[in-house]
Amino acid sequence: MDVSLTRNFCIIAHVDHGKTTLSDRLLEHTRTVEMRVMTDQHLDAMDLEKERGITIKSHPVTMNYPSKSGTIYKLNLMDTPGHVDFSYEVSRSLAACEGALLLIDAAQGVEAQTVANYHLAAAQDLKIIPVINKIDLPSANLELCMKQLEDILTIPAEEAILASGKSGIGIEDILEAVVERIPPPRWSEYPQTRALVFDSLYDTYRGVITYARVFSGALKAGEQMLMMSSNQRSEIKEVGVFTPKMTKVASLGAGDVGYIVSTIKDPSEIKVGDTLTQHIKPAQEMLPGYKEVRPMVFCGLYPLESNDYEKLKAALGRLRLNDAAFVYQSESSVALGFGFRCGFLGLLHMEIIQERIRREHDVEIISTYPSVVYRVKVVGEAEEREVDNPINLPDPGTIDYISEPTIKAAIHIPNRCTGDILSLVMEKRGTVDHTDTLDDTRIMLTCVLPLNEILVDFNDRLKSITSGYGSMDYELGEYREADLVKMDILVNSDPVDAFASIVHREKAEGKGRQLCEKLADIIPPQMFKVAIQAAIGGKIIARDNVKEMRKDVTAKCYGGDISRKRKLLDKQKEGKKKMKMIGKVNIPPDAFIQVLKN
Amino acid sequence: MHVPFCATTCDFCAFYQTKPSADGIRRYLDAMKAEAALVSWTRAPGTVFWGGGTPGLLSPSALRELGSLVNALAPAGVEEWTVEMAPASVTEARLEALKEIGVTRISMGVQSFRPELLDALGRQHTREQVFRAYERVKEAGFKSVNLDLMFALPGQAEDEWLADIDQAVALAPDHISTYCLTFEEDTKLWVKLSKGQVKLDPEHEARLYAATWARLEEHGYGQYEVSNFARPGHACVHNVNTWRMREWVGLGPSAASQHGGWRGGNPADLERWQAEVARGERMTEDRVRLTPALLLEDAVIFGLRINAGIDLAELARRFPARGLADLRGALDRLVAEGLAEQQSAGAGRVRLTGRGRLLADAIGSELMGLIDAEPADAR
Repeated sequence: MDVSLTRNFCIIAHVDHGKTTLSDRLLEHTRTVEMRVMTDQHLDAMDLEKERGITIKSHPVTMNYPSKSGTIYKLNLMDTPGHVDFSYEVSRSLAACEGALLLIDAAQGVEAQTVANYHLAAAQDLKIIPVINKIDLPSANLELCMKQLEDILTIPAEEAILASGKSGIGIEDILEAVVERIPPPRWSEYPQTRALVFDSLYDTYRGVITYARVFSGALKAGEQMLMMSSNQRSEIKEVGVFTPKMTKVASLGAGDVGYIVSTIKDPSEIKVGDTLTQHIKPAQEMLPGYKEVRPMVFCGLYPLESNDYEKLKAALGRLRLNDAAFVYQSESSVALGFGFRCGFLGLLHMEIIQERIRREHDVEIISTYPSVVYRVKVVGEAEEREVDNPINLPDPGTIDYISEPTIKAAIHIPNRCTGDILSLVMEKRGTVDHTDTLDDTRIMLTCVLPLNEILVDFNDRLKSITSGYGSMDYELGEYREADLVKMDILVNSDPVDAFASIVHREKAEGKGRQLCEKLADIIPPQMFKVAIQAAIGGKIIARDNVKEMRKDVTAKCYGGDISRKRKLLDKQKEGKKKMKMIGKVNIPPDAFIQVLKN
Repeated sequence: MHVPFCATTCDFCAFYQTKPSADGIRRYLDAMKAEAALVSWTRAPGTVFWGGGTPGLLSPSALRELGSLVNALAPAGVEEWTVEMAPASVTEARLEALKEIGVTRISMGVQSFRPELLDALGRQHTREQVFRAYERVKEAGFKSVNLDLMFALPGQAEDEWLADIDQAVALAPDHISTYCLTFEEDTKLWVKLSKGQVKLDPEHEARLYAATWARLEEHGYGQYEVSNFARPGHACVHNVNTWRMREWVGLGPSAASQHGGWRGGNPADLERWQAEVARGERMTEDRVRLTPALLLEDAVIFGLRINAGIDLAELARRFPARGLADLRGALDRLVAEGLAEQQSAGAGRVRLTGRGRLLADAIGSELMGLIDAEPADAR
């Protein structure tokens, strides 16, 4: 097929702006999927994706579209992950396209993610087609949307297509615009074969299935392909396209989007953003934009029931097969037993993995406080160390400086909340770089915040201050030096590893007091005096006492009561065995969980 | 000796008891004789305790019959012989019978002097009956008289409880037992508790305990165990012996025994107990082989409930068990934490402090399982 008759595009939008519904309409209109098999949100296969309205894995699909001019075009729609945690994956999916439909909810207007995704697409030189969706909603405000397009995104308003994925308005216009406005596949004249890896999937029977966009040349079964980042070779066993189900084809040529089954068995060998080429006639230059993805957020995951350790291990192994960005290694904690240190791209990624462990693998887990990756310069060492677990922080006396990752956040909020949001940003050690007016009622703050400060409750507080109207998007910024310290929580002078954290010195006391209070409250009254302390180095910065047991004595204890009494004491003793012994204190295991849960 | 008969069931009581009948009492007395005959007596009993149930409910002749069983076992007499009585059943005829057989001590279950609380407990006597009964007992001239009182009753304020103590003290008994209300399973009070009609308040109970100890001390009643107070020379020898892990023979349904290398109880059922005795069996329930380690551990746990405390060196001589280092360490920690005190430097005598005594159960479970279970002579 003629490369000039292929169009590769994607749809980008803020969450809930109707991306998936619109994709479904396009599949229906091109008869790629019959009406009768069409379930809502056909492309978002995972339950969790449907529920959260986000896309986690790529779901590319090839459609044939007979245009008004009579020519049949091959359209490849890339359904991209829609969250900042996956921004690298998003950028690779975008890089596999020449154009993008930018979807804006007619009632909501431009939001944080709209802007962020627009910039990502523009950075890949994609042709942007603005689509104002849900125009049949009673609350639709077309005038405002048009104005925002011009003011915020600097896109001429007349380029906008008015549509409704729900009722099918404008679908034909969109498909025509794809054919007319989006350029044909680029770089197809390159002398050697080059294909961009944008995702992969693990199949129990077939091993790793690579998703790729071919830019030039061809890939077919029986040939040897080369992964250019690692110079590793493997044999292609099958190639195919998504219709949307995987359908075997003879070869994938320039402009095609499809899958490759090869001899690769280990998912970590295939890297998103890598360039595939032919082994016998390899390309000299990789496609632009490849980088190693590294986890940014770490936490410990422990099974609630220690018997579930093996089950958790198996679950993590299976999740990793389809998610090379997720990493884990075993660790153990005095307080929580045996578990795993896990690394994630970001907060959402972390939440999704935890949710999938609970839901799809049926293991109840508890997570320690998340930590970011700090860079620590030790005096006398040439290189900075990376520390993702507070317990690995070197002795403070040897530390030259610590720097922490920051983010650049775009926060969209109603005007009336500005004061409260500014205080929140200040509280989280952030700065506001500039303020933009979005419309009469909303503004956008561009802020720099330490990543560590948004890990726990930033988004919840943003939502609560703005009654749900605020939204935030962010990209990772640079590392910055900060006055960071390791804070330990001690039970009768014994540190409790699960509660160690790296905090800003100015916030240590407040956080320490809060943790001590909570623990002192949750640990049941004790016979012996038990002090809960927060400490930096050897210095105690906060303390609280566990309530002292006041009375535990049987009134009557005569001859006949001795057997009964022994049984009772035996039972208490058994109960204690199940507890964690820290600082000579028996602490019920769920005490830690109670604290970590909040 | 357990006498299982009660006219009615008190709301707080979990002891085994049943409704009396002429035939039931007859068969009970016969079975008591039969059970006593099953015991291999190595020596005569030194103390006797008739509890219940309501031993005082038996007729004077039945009391005499049961008494003759004791006197046959201890022809030289006993050091102390206690009989529990409910105020409503104290009659001159019964007291006369008890005096005649050799009873030395009467323990009367008063529980409270407040009519509304007596009602709430399901007790069958009035305040006036208590006074009348007490007068009769005093007139009969027993060596020692005890009054049982209960506190932390639902709806009982601290000053009401202290007034009860003062009222008891005004009668000048030789011994006073004060029991914090315990919610035993299978009692009417337990049902109320589980329905949320009454609430437990350990803080309140702890305050009442402390107030009780202070008030009785003030009046010359020395505390010698968590719930027991006596004028000098009137501590209950029988009970102290059980706490010190000596030997006792329990006769009757639900009675517990510890002798001849075994610990165990009789079935808490009149019919089943009789059937067992008829088969020549006793002490069949919760039957445990006594080892020096077990006895040592119990002597520590129960001995610490006694104000005099324990002498670990002496106990180790009585019950030769190995590996006491952990136990010593745990006792040292109790001392360090202010829950116990060393009576004189270097000596093995340890006693609980007031705060420790309020936590005797928690301390007991802390001290369990620290002794090497294997007896020294087994190696």
